[in-house]
Amino acid sequence: MELDVLAKGIMMGFGMLGPAIGIGLIGSSFMNAVGRNPEAAKYFGQIFVIIAIVELMALLVFASLFII
Amino acid sequence: MFSNLIAGFFATAESEGPAIHITPGEIFQVNGISITNSMIYGLISSILIIVFLIIVARRMTVKPKRGVIQFVEIGAEFIVNTIQNSMGSRKKAIKYAPIFATAFFFVMFSNWLGLIPGSGESLMYNSQPVIRPFTADLNATLAASTIMMILVQYFAIKESGVAKHIRHFFAGSLWNPATYLLGIFEVFSEFTKIFSLALRLFLNVAIGEAIIAIFSYLGSFAAPITTLPILLLELFIGALQAYIFTMLTIMYLSAAIKHDHDVDELERHELAKAATAKTA
Repeated sequence: MELDVLAKGIMMGFGMLGPAIGIGLIGSSFMNAVGRNPEAAKYFGQIFVIIAIVELMALLVFASLFII
Repeated sequence: MFSNLIAGFFATAESEGPAIHITPGEIFQVNGISITNSMIYGLISSILIIVFLIIVARRMTVKPKRGVIQFVEIGAEFIVNTIQNSMGSRKKAIKYAPIFATAFFFVMFSNWLGLIPGSGESLMYNSQPVIRPFTADLNATLAASTIMMILVQYFAIKESGVAKHIRHFFAGSLWNPATYLLGIFEVFSEFTKIFSLALRLFLNVAIGEAIIAIFSYLGSFAAPITTLPILLLELFIGALQAYIFTMLTIMYLSAAIKHDHDVDELERHELAKAATAKTA
């Protein structure tokens, strides 16, 4: 039981690390693009689509929490 | 005594933890076929959506009206604009708008109808919650994404013919063996799209439900206050997931009917040279 909880903690910690870095990179590069070229601000809607692709990985980790 | 009081405040009726269901629960059986709660609620919510949208469509006028009708108009216009940006022509956008608008409104209302009071653990039948949103079931989202991908293939074949559509997967020079290897990967990725679409929608909605359950469990007596921000977030995520589901299928379709990169660089150069020679 205790090991179970430990495994879940490790899985959440390391599994969320990648998507978190990924979403941060997306946001930072969007801000960079808008800073260099303010015309690019109209692609704000596209950001959510790319974030959703990354978010799937985080959600897979979260879902495995309940079936582990 | 004081610690007992605090413990009493923060304990719930059953202290095993929040009730989280990743799979839909079976409510009853008909001839050995199990009828789950998400199936029943999906049927109810699709009837509600059909009735609602038919009423709105009947009342729609050229001069815009206020209220719910305006909201549906904004949604439909938004889908048309998205397709136009992706495909580059208004005519094609209006041609493909009905199917994508249907998908958008169906997914969005299915997500939102799972947030009404009474969904989850509050209404129980055969120790299973009665109301579960249709999209919080992997079978439902798999069916939805399979139908959308089949429609994308159908439209792509109708738009450009069978031979050209298959050539789209095996792009590049036909004498190059790498073309066939990459083509098989392309065909395989078409099936991956089905699973990624289905998993994304299902996990977002199902985990939203789980997070609402966790926060209402943690909040105990203050559950309405702790759950409200998450509920509002889920309202936003429901619309966002509908947008993403539609947007990705539109992107797949517009990628499938574009044939700019089918022939390789040299071949295209020669074709362009032939075209200029003809006009000159």
